[in-house]
Amino acid sequence: MRFSISRYDPDRDEKPWMQHYDIDLIDTDAMLLDVLLRIKAQDPSLSMRKSCREGVCGSDAMNINGRNGLACITPVRTLKNPVVIRPLPSFPIIRDLIVDMTGFFKQYDSIKPYLINDEPAPEKERLQSPAERDKLNGAYECILCACCSSQCPSFWWNPDKFVGPAGLIQAYRFIFDSRDTATEARLDDLNDAYRLFRCRTIMNCSEVCPKGLEPSHAIEMIRLNMVKPQGDSGALPVHAVSPKRK
Amino acid sequence: MNRVPTGRPAWLVQRASAVYMLLFLIFFLGSLWLHPVHGHAGWVQWIGHPALRAAVTVFFTALFAHMWVGLRDVLLDYAQPVRLRPYLLIVLAMVLSGLAVWAAWIVLRPFA
Repeated sequence: MRFSISRYDPDRDEKPWMQHYDIDLIDTDAMLLDVLLRIKAQDPSLSMRKSCREGVCGSDAMNINGRNGLACITPVRTLKNPVVIRPLPSFPIIRDLIVDMTGFFKQYDSIKPYLINDEPAPEKERLQSPAERDKLNGAYECILCACCSSQCPSFWWNPDKFVGPAGLIQAYRFIFDSRDTATEARLDDLNDAYRLFRCRTIMNCSEVCPKGLEPSHAIEMIRLNMVKPQGDSGALPVHAVSPKRK
Repeated sequence: MNRVPTGRPAWLVQRASAVYMLLFLIFFLGSLWLHPVHGHAGWVQWIGHPALRAAVTVFFTALFAHMWVGLRDVLLDYAQPVRLRPYLLIVLAMVLSGLAVWAAWIVLRPFA
């Protein structure tokens, strides 16, 4: 199987170029990351991020045959040959498959991704009803791998102004949290032409999310909540993880 | 924070105008199907009804409001460099306002 991998060394290359590796798959090559690690053993100069190897940390997000995903949960035998691997689109490349995620995390930080509650703390804990807790499902599972934001054209055009799907599904998670008391301030912060409303409902974010989340639905729920509180809206929808690839 | 151009109001205008235009077009096409209009005299009689004039005027207002939001989004997405955007938005607003006034004048003027 042929793997064409984008290479870029800032000290040597003017622009990224493709290097081809022909690899005979073996029984232990279940996921794409398994193969990439074998390639790296052959060619230690290949640089990539990886950590948990089970789709939890989000480190090994990359563009696989034109579609963002996590190498560690992408079955390698489902991929079309040759496999073309590039770094996450639109993010500045640091080296090979490693991208600079500073702007991405800046947007994430801008939505204040923590619970804000100025009321006196209760003796034990802030309780939620099952219905209130249910609203967080489909949002809290986001692992911030950036597959969604990197595949979003609106984020490509205005990465410094549009929060992006990853940041907005996190914003949803706190706006719809019954324990958070800063809902009005959070909504007001998103109410300009760029931060939330640059979303054109292209839905690439939901399409590529390796956790099966639907940031586009979260964005719509925030918009609707700006007009009228959504009451018991329930959990966000999720879809099957690891859809068939080509 | 700079509140211009806006977020939620523009989003609401876009959706409300879309709903109105859809309903009006259904009514308009249904009306033509049930009561076909023949010739200039027929159209003058059709538009002569005050309620229809108001409905057509609102339709064109909705159309230009919808165009404003849509074209504004195109400029906010693609117009580079960014400092050019306010000027392009002003030009767009002037053109659409002019077209809206022209359309209103055509619809509301007395017909012979």
